[in-house]
Amino acid sequence: MTPFPDRRAFLRNAGCGFGALALAALLDEEARAQTPPDPLAPKAPHHEAAAKRVIFLFMSGGPSHVDTFDPKPELTRLHGRPLPASFGPVKTRRGVDRNRLLASRRTFQRHGQSGTEVSDWFPHIGSCVDDICLLRGCYGDSVTHPESVYLMNTGSILMGRPSLGAWATYGLGTENRNMPAFVVMPDPGGWPKGGAPAWGNGYLPAAYQGTVVRGGPSPVAHLATPNGVRAEQQRRTLDFVGEANRAHAAARPLDTELAARVAAYELAFRMQAHAPEVVDLSKETDETKRLYGLDRAETAEFGTRCLLARRMVERGVRFVQLYSGDTNGWDGHSDLEGNHGRLALASDKPVAGLLTDLKRRGLLRDTLVVWGGEFGRTPMTEGTNGRDHNPHGFSMWLAGGGARGGAVVGSTDPIGLRAADGKTHVHDVQATILHLLGLNHRRLTFRHNGRNERLTDNGGELIEAALA
Amino acid sequence: MPRYLPALAVLVLASPLRADEGKAHWAWKKPTRPAVPVVAGTRPANPIDAFIRAKLDAAKLAPAPRATPEALVRRVTFDLTGLPPTPEEVEAFVRDTSPGAWAKVVDRLLASTHYGERWGRHWLDLARYADTNGYEFDEPRPDAWRYRDYVIRALNADVPYDRFVTEQLAGDEVFGGDPAARVATGFNLLGPDMTDSSDQAQRRLNTLNDMTDTAALAFLGLTLTCARCHDHKFEPIPQADYFRFQAFFAPAAFRTDLAVATPAERQAHADAETRYQAATKDVRAALDAVEAPHRQKLFEAKLAKLPADTQAAHRTPADKRTGGQIELVEQSMAKVRVVDAEVAKTLSADEKKSADGLRAKLKAFDAQKPRPLPTAMGLTDRPGPPPKTHVLERGELGNKGAEVQPGFPTTLVPGATDAAVSPVPPGSGRRAALAKWVTSADNPLTARVIVNRLWQHHFGRGIVATASDFGVKGTPPTHPELLDWLACELVEGGWTLKRMHRLMLLSETYQQSTAVSADAARVDPSNALVARMNRLRLEGEAVRDAMLAASGRLNRKTGGPGVVLPELARAAGGSRPVPATADASEHSRRSVYLFARRNLRDPFLEAFDLPDSNQSCPKRERSTTAPQALSLLNSAEAMAAAKALAARVEREAADEPARVDRAYQLVLGRAPTAAERERAAAFLRESPLTELCRALFNLNEFVYLD
Repeated sequence: MTPFPDRRAFLRNAGCGFGALALAALLDEEARAQTPPDPLAPKAPHHEAAAKRVIFLFMSGGPSHVDTFDPKPELTRLHGRPLPASFGPVKTRRGVDRNRLLASRRTFQRHGQSGTEVSDWFPHIGSCVDDICLLRGCYGDSVTHPESVYLMNTGSILMGRPSLGAWATYGLGTENRNMPAFVVMPDPGGWPKGGAPAWGNGYLPAAYQGTVVRGGPSPVAHLATPNGVRAEQQRRTLDFVGEANRAHAAARPLDTELAARVAAYELAFRMQAHAPEVVDLSKETDETKRLYGLDRAETAEFGTRCLLARRMVERGVRFVQLYSGDTNGWDGHSDLEGNHGRLALASDKPVAGLLTDLKRRGLLRDTLVVWGGEFGRTPMTEGTNGRDHNPHGFSMWLAGGGARGGAVVGSTDPIGLRAADGKTHVHDVQATILHLLGLNHRRLTFRHNGRNERLTDNGGELIEAALA
Repeated sequence: MPRYLPALAVLVLASPLRADEGKAHWAWKKPTRPAVPVVAGTRPANPIDAFIRAKLDAAKLAPAPRATPEALVRRVTFDLTGLPPTPEEVEAFVRDTSPGAWAKVVDRLLASTHYGERWGRHWLDLARYADTNGYEFDEPRPDAWRYRDYVIRALNADVPYDRFVTEQLAGDEVFGGDPAARVATGFNLLGPDMTDSSDQAQRRLNTLNDMTDTAALAFLGLTLTCARCHDHKFEPIPQADYFRFQAFFAPAAFRTDLAVATPAERQAHADAETRYQAATKDVRAALDAVEAPHRQKLFEAKLAKLPADTQAAHRTPADKRTGGQIELVEQSMAKVRVVDAEVAKTLSADEKKSADGLRAKLKAFDAQKPRPLPTAMGLTDRPGPPPKTHVLERGELGNKGAEVQPGFPTTLVPGATDAAVSPVPPGSGRRAALAKWVTSADNPLTARVIVNRLWQHHFGRGIVATASDFGVKGTPPTHPELLDWLACELVEGGWTLKRMHRLMLLSETYQQSTAVSADAARVDPSNALVARMNRLRLEGEAVRDAMLAASGRLNRKTGGPGVVLPELARAAGGSRPVPATADASEHSRRSVYLFARRNLRDPFLEAFDLPDSNQSCPKRERSTTAPQALSLLNSAEAMAAAKALAARVEREAADEPARVDRAYQLVLGRAPTAAERERAAAFLRESPLTELCRALFNLNEFVYLD
């Protein structure tokens, strides 16, 4: 006999009376970890959830915080001087630590009742600032794009871990079975650096990976009936399959997987019928379209994806991730003004439109909107007019879904080089997102190669100040 | 379980392991061959059946009856080759009533080259195999496929498992003359690699960590990873043991340029090279006279910009360089390389004219130039004394603790401190020492772990369900005596895997039907006692390959560089497009030969639970989702298979009823029943034959094996 019999049997036998709560919690996690025949069936959260769903607006390439959400008068004062020795050595991707400091050319303006300062690149987002909880003291672990994209999305700079959206759907399942639970809408110009593993399932079952969705008649891969097959033929073929599969299952009772596969075909058919409606914007009013900037060339593309995101969360999609910026995106190593100016213009109105629209529809209360890139940018110049990667201090924000509107949490040092007071590691942000979804990041685990893995690895502290 | 111990139970489950706990764990002790049990007064012919029956008897359960011949031949053909049996093979087995009929089928399949393709894929999951580096650029690894082919060939040749393990850990040291063994060491480098990391020392550590973790998981079923940052909380593995284990790999250079040509290839190459050199001697000398001074000047200018130690390394004659200098030269080679275009810019007009003319002459000899010799990824030790290995506090590079020597996990080799290592010049011999211990008959884990993996793939669940975790927190074996008996049988039988497959497949236990009796459903719903066969489901590769085979399009060519399907050639987030394989007949090759990009996976295989290739995967998930249904219904592959199958049955059968029969036989391995014939006929009154074929590929019966 071994010292450790089957763990579930052990717990069951170990019985009642003692530590009932601990036992219940353990069994609960085990139940979550068993892959049921239907891996996406809704599951209860650990605690009451403030947010039922998430829209993550990922600014691919790393937007500069000192030019957007983190004004630095001291940086302006020190413009043109080398980084003061008091800041010590600093690691950047392209070795700009000896370069001169570069003041922001933006002007910042106070917005809303909270009076939070936002740069003139984001006048529309600025107008929503009372709904926004701004995290000015974020920091990460790597100076490179792919490692930082992976860290932000999967909690590890090493590739191959499950993404935040995968963890959320693993923890909660989904309420809309006509759409994928975790939807990703990359920039049409190209995927973020590091590619699809940013929305991968890692060691979680494949059912939890992000699904790339586009507009148009076939938003999901393989959704459209094959060319040359008419709708009534598709139904006839599906009926034949369903009938044969039901007969096959009936002859093999007690096999839940066979029944689940029959159900999966029905679901596929419903998805085929309903998903195109989800991405069909023809019933949206002109006013709504204008709100997202669909009427202007520079905002129409990102605005369309923001509007699609609202339509998806409205219909119960659990996790939507949008990427602003193509493969290079906000990576302003040179001509930061030109690069950021273009992307800020393309995203400011759509993002504000999304927040406004969610709010007036009563959806912002339980929809968490997250804004951020894989890192910020250096206060030191790169070349004459660019900025290098800066994972040591940068800004992100949360809105709705139980985040504290109008709050500013944390800060960077006087020139925006490093997170200083109230600093929050990427794992802290992730723990907070999961918390708002009703999940405890320490309890949301999956056993893989002998280890109870979790999104936040060994770290992650809840950012209490960010909670409403 | 004693009822008075719940408090302790919770404590033990919820709290970290204390120093002495877990030392008595069953898996840390060498297996001894248990007696084969006597069941109901007799001893079943196959010892596996004896062990299984003994437990069934104790639970008062009867084994399920034998499956139908159709089901059996379909099950075993997919199991051993990942392909469906042809209708003719089904027919032959159904008609063969001789006592040796089953063994004949098993032996035929074990001898098929498709066996290695199927079981090689299982091993590639453990080896986290892919053809690219991952991270931003996801560069192709042009020689990774040689490792994939090595695995397939080794399994087909039934290379004894102890040798198979040794080749992968230390092929260069133990079988250095054998190119295949050198290719095998590529196993250690198959994980993702960020080539442009900002911190190259960290990059090397990441790779070392990955090979340490993967070797322990794949060969030993040991989860060392947790001990990288601290003493293992749940297993009796102190942190020092992690780095003692890592020290076996520490002297290794991570090579992408291993010479793996056979002696004959080398000779042919050398001869061709001599001929080419002789033919071009005068032209090259003339060209050199013009260019060499400029080239040297450019090289010196580039070298002068590098640190002093790097300069010194380059200036030291190649055969006099120390290990560190060799590395410095390798690392800085790109920075000092002078390309022809740079030289051309520095030439005078006259010189340029003369050089261009000579180059054109030289180019005329290109056809005589020998093709480069094959190279591969893999390990060889760096010359010189091995580097020091330190415990890294919290696993951090800059946080060195005590120095450690190579050694085996102390929980497995009680009392042992450092491993005995004899140098294998030019290598340190460390990996040879590791391989020797891993494959020793005294190792308590290696044989158990591999026989359990075989069992898992044949029966759908391992005797130990956590196939890469035999530790204290792994799932205990359902049949510990059987596991030990199989492990001893493997070792005493000379570590041949085919013999073990045969033993398992010839058991009555394997040949049971999947039907559940009411008793078994009540007493043992999870079928831990194997009172029936588990219903296996085809993996994505088998689904795709079976569709190609049934529709008559499967290209059975073996080996070679990975096939890039056109839809997987595009750029993907920082990674460049990879050229699609031009020859369209290659696109219908077996899935194991498809080029595996880390950052862009085949959506069809991905929907069917293709594991992420970044970490060792001991067992695939088995999910049932709507996207799977959509890919089988609507994808271009599915439609192509349906059309090809319809065309095939129209070719091979004269009228509609015969075509329906043939389609069922090709897809499901059986003829339709009378009711199915009727239903199909009704369907075909409204729908084309292609649609019936598409429907058949979507049946549960196609993807689930009875």
